[in-house]
Amino acid sequence: MLSTVKTMALHGLEGFLIDVQVDVSAGMPSWDIVGLPDTSVKEAKERIRTAIKNSGYELFSRKIVINLAPASIKKEGSIYDLPMAVGILKSIDVIYTKEPENILMIGELSLNGDLNPINGALPICIEAKKMGIKKIIMPKQNVKEASIISGIEILGAYDLSEVVHYLNNNITISSSHITWEECLEKGKKYPLDFSEVKGQENVKRAVEVAAAGGHNCLLIGSPRLRKNYDSKKNSINLARPKF
Amino acid sequence: MIAKRIPSILPDLSFEEALEITKIHSIAGTLKQDVPIIISRPFRSPHHTISATSLAGGGRIPKPGEISLAHYGVLFLDELPEFNQHTLEVLRGPLEDGLVTISRINGTLTYPCNFMFVASMNPCPCGYYGSQEKECSCSMQAITKYMGKISGPLLDRIDIQIEVTPVKYKKLENDKAEETSEQIKQRVNKARQIQRDRYKEEKIYSNSNLTPNLIEKYCKLNKESKSILEIAFNKLGLSARAYGRILKVARTIADLEGSEQIQKAHITEAIGYRNLDKKYWKN
Repeated sequence: MLSTVKTMALHGLEGFLIDVQVDVSAGMPSWDIVGLPDTSVKEAKERIRTAIKNSGYELFSRKIVINLAPASIKKEGSIYDLPMAVGILKSIDVIYTKEPENILMIGELSLNGDLNPINGALPICIEAKKMGIKKIIMPKQNVKEASIISGIEILGAYDLSEVVHYLNNNITISSSHITWEECLEKGKKYPLDFSEVKGQENVKRAVEVAAAGGHNCLLIGSPRLRKNYDSKKNSINLARPKF
Repeated sequence: MIAKRIPSILPDLSFEEALEITKIHSIAGTLKQDVPIIISRPFRSPHHTISATSLAGGGRIPKPGEISLAHYGVLFLDELPEFNQHTLEVLRGPLEDGLVTISRINGTLTYPCNFMFVASMNPCPCGYYGSQEKECSCSMQAITKYMGKISGPLLDRIDIQIEVTPVKYKKLENDKAEETSEQIKQRVNKARQIQRDRYKEEKIYSNSNLTPNLIEKYCKLNKESKSILEIAFNKLGLSARAYGRILKVARTIADLEGSEQIQKAHITEAIGYRNLDKKYWKN
């Protein structure tokens, strides 16, 4: 049976919507991934096969063909593990709802079925929102960075079986969202301070101008002059090493 | 070091800026688990053994380099002449455009790299050329070779050049409280807010991003300032690029004072930040 799951490829900061088309049929047992996958995508075979098995689902020996469309865009990385696994499970009727077609999925699988964090979750969410996607399933560890985006439902899952249960409407996953203000509260103070620098008013002024306008600046001076005027406070701290 | 303390006075990020920075760090995989989104400007200080590729970005599938990771923040290069010259020249285009385009067999990618370039260096191999305290022991040839590692075009792109002179003993002993970073930051924030409001329509955030057209629009000089700039331009033999950069710095100094017009004092201070290449590079 044929099934389709949506995912996304990143080229730099630009995102392309990818359809993962999976066909599982009777025939000589084989497994092919087409649509310009690179080695890391092809390797997904072994991860997916083992993850599905270790999540408690049975994958009989069948002819599996996966196409990553459009086939003209190069695909790399491990983010296609989850959509491919979901596509296969849908094809063999483990997932029986229609829904996955409207949800974007990204995530790397580990052999025991857990979802591992991926790179680029935030740009994917931003691009997905631009393309009108409403829901996105990703590894739990990536939810933090992505939840700053409003207007799109970000669902974090720990493992493959959680995703399957969610798609079969057995459980619900609540979407999380944090605001910019909440992020700002977590800010830490920078450990170094200009009050520790004695004198050097002209340099401080120049640096202030540079910071205010974002200008490039070059400091020229002998090494000891540039480095040795930290206050006594700092040298006391240095003298007593901590464990 | 002063340069290491620059992050403590950098203006606060706006949400849009923070999002752009986090996007790049998300792709590079340098986000830490405890920070969902980057809320302070990045400060990148790569060692001088860095290669051109890791500075600009690259790899089989191009990943952002240090200049892109420093987007909207600071790229600090300590001991500038120690860097490979080929590596430094990589900075030329990005410093001007705020973008870097990397072409590899797997595709051509463009990453933003709108960073503030901060560098520090000695005036000669021994470190005492031009010093009043100690005599320099380097031969003229050694000094020329050392300074020659910084090319003219790169130097031309640096708006503010400042000489760090020794602190007098009295000042070190002085227990007078120095200004804290918090106080300086308040002024910087205020100046940056003025810029943000002014450039709302132009899609830029600071004076350093002004294009030649915008310089003409926003950095108008009165007659007196114009004549000062003309004298300086002819006397110092400035380039067209330097001219634009002086105007941008003057605009910032005026913003720091909350002045709408660029005054005489502002333009003279800005010119003052560009005279070191005469002293050390003799060009």
